[in-house]
Amino acid sequence: MNLGGAIRATISFLIFVVLHYTLRPLLGWRAPMDFLVLALLLASVRVRPATAAVIGFILGMISDSLAPDALGAGAIAMTIVGFGASYLKAVFFADNLVLNAFFFFLGKWVFDILYFIGEQRVHGVELVQQLLLWSPLSAAVTAAVGVLLLFIMRPLLEPSTA
Amino acid sequence: MARAVRSNNRIDLIVLTTCVVLALAARALPNTMRDPVATGMRRSFLAPLVMLQERSEKGRQSLLSADAKQEHLDSLSLASIKAGSLEGENDRLRKLIGLGSRLRWGFVPAEALHGRGVRDETTVILSAGSRAGVSRLSPVIGPEGLVGVVDQVDPTMSHAMLWTHPDFRVSAMSPDGSAFGIAQAHLTGATGDYLLELRGVPFRATLKPGSVIVSSGWGGVWPRGIPVGTVLQEIKTTEGWARTYLLRPAVNPADVYSVMILRRDRVAKGVDGVWESAAQVDAAAQRIVVSGDSAAKSAALAEAAARRAVLDSIARANGVAPAGVTDSTRAVSQPVAPRPVPVRRPPADTTVRRDTTPRDTTRRDSAPPPANAPPPGATR
Repeated sequence: MNLGGAIRATISFLIFVVLHYTLRPLLGWRAPMDFLVLALLLASVRVRPATAAVIGFILGMISDSLAPDALGAGAIAMTIVGFGASYLKAVFFADNLVLNAFFFFLGKWVFDILYFIGEQRVHGVELVQQLLLWSPLSAAVTAAVGVLLLFIMRPLLEPSTA
Repeated sequence: MARAVRSNNRIDLIVLTTCVVLALAARALPNTMRDPVATGMRRSFLAPLVMLQERSEKGRQSLLSADAKQEHLDSLSLASIKAGSLEGENDRLRKLIGLGSRLRWGFVPAEALHGRGVRDETTVILSAGSRAGVSRLSPVIGPEGLVGVVDQVDPTMSHAMLWTHPDFRVSAMSPDGSAFGIAQAHLTGATGDYLLELRGVPFRATLKPGSVIVSSGWGGVWPRGIPVGTVLQEIKTTEGWARTYLLRPAVNPADVYSVMILRRDRVAKGVDGVWESAAQVDAAAQRIVVSGDSAAKSAALAEAAARRAVLDSIARANGVAPAGVTDSTRAVSQPVAPRPVPVRRPPADTTVRRDTTPRDTTRRDSAPPPANAPPPGATR
């Protein structure tokens, strides 16, 4: 990835992070979209697995700092998701919106599974309900928003032809 | 090549393991250590993001509470609209209580029920009847003065004719007794306002606009001294032997909701001094208001004079004519172009000239001629 591509990717990454802290609380949905996971997935497919793991760890710590009781849970989940996304980028590194949507859906769902298991706040039926109902819904919303943003931000995210 | 790939994979795994271990360590931290770490992050490099999130949540709360706030605002607006009418009603009830305390005895308080349509304010139903001591031809009064007279009485309610009724008459006079007449409803004009007219005033008696007219006590129905209205102007009628005056009524029939019905024994005793004291209180309040206005006006005039003096002195210091100087004065101090010489015409039609504006009148407001100017009418 050249310098221009890196700058564009960084700008996209920052836009997703800002959206996570502005649009998401403004909408306040029960199954919210997760812009941090989208940012992580979009960054992970462009960097090495080690870098993706570090980015995931940092994003997870940022996310956890606003919920101190779960400090570390988000970091574990995002580290693994980021590493996995980067490791599997050959599979998903296609200009196919459906594949990208599935990629976002899977990334968010895996993140939620890891997060809620690591957080240990919800248990039993509630945990099952969360992981099998609300998390997939949230993952679907995240995937839809991610695809929409990919479509909108295509000039920023596509590699430069020059 | 294969060694490099293997090395990279090993580095990736080491970094992954390190990150996971660090995350697990953070997860395993006791609360006493977890909170300072999270707080330190929130207060340092995460502060902008936290601020953004707070603002977004406040925006969401504002959006969610907008409907409730609008409903609250509507309720307040409705309450404020009602408050105006309630204040007016309270004011009127206070006045009625004041009238009751001045009358002291011999009256029956009653509610006036308007049963007819708008602009048909000639009769009302009163919520007191013969059981309360009301009898036919009992006077109905309000805090401001005369309202009407009872014409039908039932045990629990009565029917009253307001002064707006075409058949209503009351003998009235000026408070000093210099003019007497019969007050009755005046046929409304284009505006539809309710007015009274005082008919049959002797030709030698003149009433000034603003004079108060009260009941005279003649006839036995009305006691003497109840305010009927205020003189507006004299109106021309075909009756050449007496004057007729237009009165502004003391009581607006549309505002009659609570009244007092005077019993016959109270009518016989009279109501002297009841409205005089109220009038004195009103006059005193009016004097206070007027004196306050005068003080404010004089203070404003003094301030304006001082300001004008300062501006004039500044203008003189700058060599400019003061702002307060009139055009006439300025005309004297500045060089004046020669005026066009008026053409002397023979005084053929003096009658016409006598009806036009005198020349000295117009000259008084214009600029006086300079000393070297030719006199009016001179030819060069």
